[in-house]
Amino acid sequence: MAERATFGDLLHSRGVSRRAFLKFCSTTASLMALPAGTATAMAEALSAARRPSVIWLSFQECTGCTEALTRSHAPTLESLLFNFISLDYHHTLQAASGDAAEHAREEAQHANSGEYLVLVDGSIPLLEYCSTVAGISNKAMLVAACEHAAAVINIGTCAAYGGIPVAKPNPTKAVAVGDIIKDKPIINVPGCPPMPLAITGVIAQYLTLGKLPQLDHLGRPVAFFGENIHDRCYRRPFYDRGQFAETFDDEGARKGWCLYKLGCKAPVAYNACAHIKWNNGVSFPIQSGHGCIGCSEPGFWDMGGVYQSVATGKFGDGAKLGAAATAGAALGAGAAILARRRKAALHGEDSAEH
Amino acid sequence: MSATATTQVFPTFAEVYQGFAGQIGMLREMAPTPTKSDDQRLQGAVDTLIEETNAGEAVWLESCIHCGQCTSACHYFQALGDAKYAPMRKMDLYRRVYRREISPLRWLHRLVTKAVELADFEDAVPLIYDSCSECGRCTMVCPMGIDTASLVHHMRSAMVAAELVPPELAALRMEQLHQGTVFGSSPEALKNMVDTIRERAGVDIPLDKESAEVMVLSSAVDLVANGNGLLATARIMNHISVDWTICSDGFESANFGLLSGDMSLWKKQSDPIVAAAKRVKAKTLVIAECGHAYPALRWNPMLRSGALPFEMMYMSEFLGKQAQAGKLRLKPMEGKVTFHDPCKTGRRGGAFDEPRSVLKAMNADLVEMPNHKEYNWCCGGGAGIFLLADATELRDESFKIKIREVDETGADSVVVSCASCRLNFESGRQKNHWDKRVESLVELTAAHLIDDDVAVAPAAGAAS
Amino acid sequence: MSLLDFARGPAIHASLIILVAGILLRLVGVLALTRGADLSRPRDAFGNFKGYRTVFSRFWPSSEFTTATIYQTAMAYVFHLAALLVVVGIVPHIEFITSLTGFSWPGLPNWLGVAMGTLALGSLIALIIRRLSHPAVYNSTVGDYITWAIVALPLVTGLMAFAHVGPRYETMLALHILSAALLFAYMPFSKLMHAFWFIFSRAQSGLAYAHKGVRI
Repeated sequence: MAERATFGDLLHSRGVSRRAFLKFCSTTASLMALPAGTATAMAEALSAARRPSVIWLSFQECTGCTEALTRSHAPTLESLLFNFISLDYHHTLQAASGDAAEHAREEAQHANSGEYLVLVDGSIPLLEYCSTVAGISNKAMLVAACEHAAAVINIGTCAAYGGIPVAKPNPTKAVAVGDIIKDKPIINVPGCPPMPLAITGVIAQYLTLGKLPQLDHLGRPVAFFGENIHDRCYRRPFYDRGQFAETFDDEGARKGWCLYKLGCKAPVAYNACAHIKWNNGVSFPIQSGHGCIGCSEPGFWDMGGVYQSVATGKFGDGAKLGAAATAGAALGAGAAILARRRKAALHGEDSAEH
Repeated sequence: MSATATTQVFPTFAEVYQGFAGQIGMLREMAPTPTKSDDQRLQGAVDTLIEETNAGEAVWLESCIHCGQCTSACHYFQALGDAKYAPMRKMDLYRRVYRREISPLRWLHRLVTKAVELADFEDAVPLIYDSCSECGRCTMVCPMGIDTASLVHHMRSAMVAAELVPPELAALRMEQLHQGTVFGSSPEALKNMVDTIRERAGVDIPLDKESAEVMVLSSAVDLVANGNGLLATARIMNHISVDWTICSDGFESANFGLLSGDMSLWKKQSDPIVAAAKRVKAKTLVIAECGHAYPALRWNPMLRSGALPFEMMYMSEFLGKQAQAGKLRLKPMEGKVTFHDPCKTGRRGGAFDEPRSVLKAMNADLVEMPNHKEYNWCCGGGAGIFLLADATELRDESFKIKIREVDETGADSVVVSCASCRLNFESGRQKNHWDKRVESLVELTAAHLIDDDVAVAPAAGAAS
Repeated sequence: MSLLDFARGPAIHASLIILVAGILLRLVGVLALTRGADLSRPRDAFGNFKGYRTVFSRFWPSSEFTTATIYQTAMAYVFHLAALLVVVGIVPHIEFITSLTGFSWPGLPNWLGVAMGTLALGSLIALIIRRLSHPAVYNSTVGDYITWAIVALPLVTGLMAFAHVGPRYETMLALHILSAALLFAYMPFSKLMHAFWFIFSRAQSGLAYAHKGVRI
């Protein structure tokens, strides 16, 4: 394999100005809450960075994550960064197929042992026959690919937490990457799909600073997943005032009132949607009139109905409560009857004495 | 002639009080000692509570939320400020027994609470006797409306079974149980008193008539110490020319079954009175000025009084009804006066308006105390407490509340209609050198009768 | 299962079962005991009926006791009313109740909900301060303090959850629901049952006194 080009060369060849590149670096640095001086260092390091080898494994997934990254409206620096990496294996995007494709993966693993990144989208079925690639089960391929990897980045909620395949009744016995791989650094970039900037931000930091970003308790970069969508939502004032849309076409909905009662999961969802937004900052689900579905959270598919509000309890039916009431009353009556009998017995003794 | 003649025949009430105090002192020596084993006493107390607990008591025991408001209503707590005397504390032991024996959660309470011991009942004696006159004032403030007084009364029943009745009450209970007398007030004592009154005051008391419309009760205090009480009663009865009698087989108002908590003695004591009233075909049974006698008979829950051929009323009620009917001709009364509602006939008896009608008939300048009628402060001597030596401090300190209340009215005299209240007022008056006069309603009424010597010429011929 | 899912699923479900069964156990177990009979003749024929008035008259202490009880009474009212408004007034609670019962009604603005919650907590603190500073008046037991804490917890956690202070919102929300579950499960075994007893207790006393012609 020839000497790899640097990212600077790539940008130069695409006609991207240094000013635009610096702007990208400072945006990324600030987004990831890195010190101010880091932007320049990041620019230097990125310009000089050699293309890292990346193996992208797709398991039980819908390709939506890949779509989100690649189907940008216009070519962006994010997509360029994505183009810069040496995507040695990605069965949706790569030209090769069959044995050649699998061979490329094995070669990349071998050539970049200990340095390459594994990006995973999709969950892994423990019923291994449920999903295979080239006759290799997802689990076997994941274990093999991760063996010499530098780190694993889970792209999307399925890889990070199981996502839709894990939803009840989980017919394939799907699990997340973290359930199988225990000995490698894992970064979760959840979302259905995740925000593209979150993916590139993590990769950019890894490439420049050579270390993983700070993660929250769910393994997500704090820079993107540290804030509550509800806290950042532009509809929050309506929540505070108690103005809620009751249906999707009532006056409240038209006036842009809070979607809490329509099942918005923003209060329990952590993501950057509300401030970075999607499609180059155009909009995000709540802005378009639909509540957040909490897609960046573990088990989001089982968090209650999409249109059930966060405060909803889960009770099953009222029959159990009715049974409890009957049982309570019966026990109470029993206790009272026993007490009455005891009293009657005492009374009998007294009468006998006199 | 009347007022001066009366005071000559019998000693004044101040002297009566001093003589009576000496008699009370001797009671402690006469007190019986426990006869049963500790285990039997404890079991008896617990069994009594189980027997006497109905849904009503259970609800009250369940309802207390320890909000502490009852403390503001209790004269004993207000007098001493001691946590021990908070009304809610007085049902704690009852509640412990209830929770372990009767409550629907008894299986739980038996796991988490200690078993009740005889020592617990011993510790509760000062709460159940010395510091609760069962006046019911705490019920008036309780947000749950808990009737602490009746719960205390059940505890007194348990104390009887535990043989823990205070010596004074125990001695009198034993006397009434075995001799049928109180302070020796036997039928002979009654006859002697009737004769004395006839001889010295020239007032006739129709003892043991075959039949009479009104049957009048007397009380031990009147028979052994204060002859003026019976004398006044007789003068009033004769004044209104009613067909009345006193029965020597049913004359005692005092009921130490009720005061000590002995339900069977309570009933034993009221049965002969009912029988006598039936025998003489009385239409009205007048209960002497002895506060607890009113609930003992009129509100006796074991007595189906609606089915009896006669009506029971307290002396003040009887006098009030006579006054309302215009049958009492009374001289106007001098000076301001206030009326003390005895707990047992007022808040726990409902006879509020009648005694006031009597005072009105005397044209008395009645000034009510700040807390009166349902809210009247107990004098501190009710429910037998006047007799208890151990309760002396409680009684004396709590009486200061009464002094304050009466003083606020600016009245010269306070009228009571209960021998216990009157004794306690007299005690408080003497101990505090209080400048108020303490009057009994019946004696005050007798003293104000427009008597035969004034109206004798026109009335005498017509009447007799 | 996350803490939140546990809280609003099994925990709240179990606590409601305990609540319903416990309340009925205690109510039936007491009310089905023998009834005492007062055979004495009532002062007037229909007088006893007037006793039911006490159920309502006890909503405020009579003027004789105003000075002594005003602090306690006022604070208790502030607490009960504010807590009631919070429980049935704010939208998340309505959503919760709707999911259980199907009934729904308009909610209060959140600022009012927060104000009421703060007021309820404030009055609860005012009450415990008085309880602590007047030991003779209250004769407090351990149960009194436990009950206070169990009642205060949902208010504290609710306000914290709303204000997004402390742990993350979903954790706080879960703690809030768990504290409510604790309150539900504790209620039938505690003095909180006064929510039911007060009717029976007041009525009984009212009737007993009305029997004698006394209005209490």
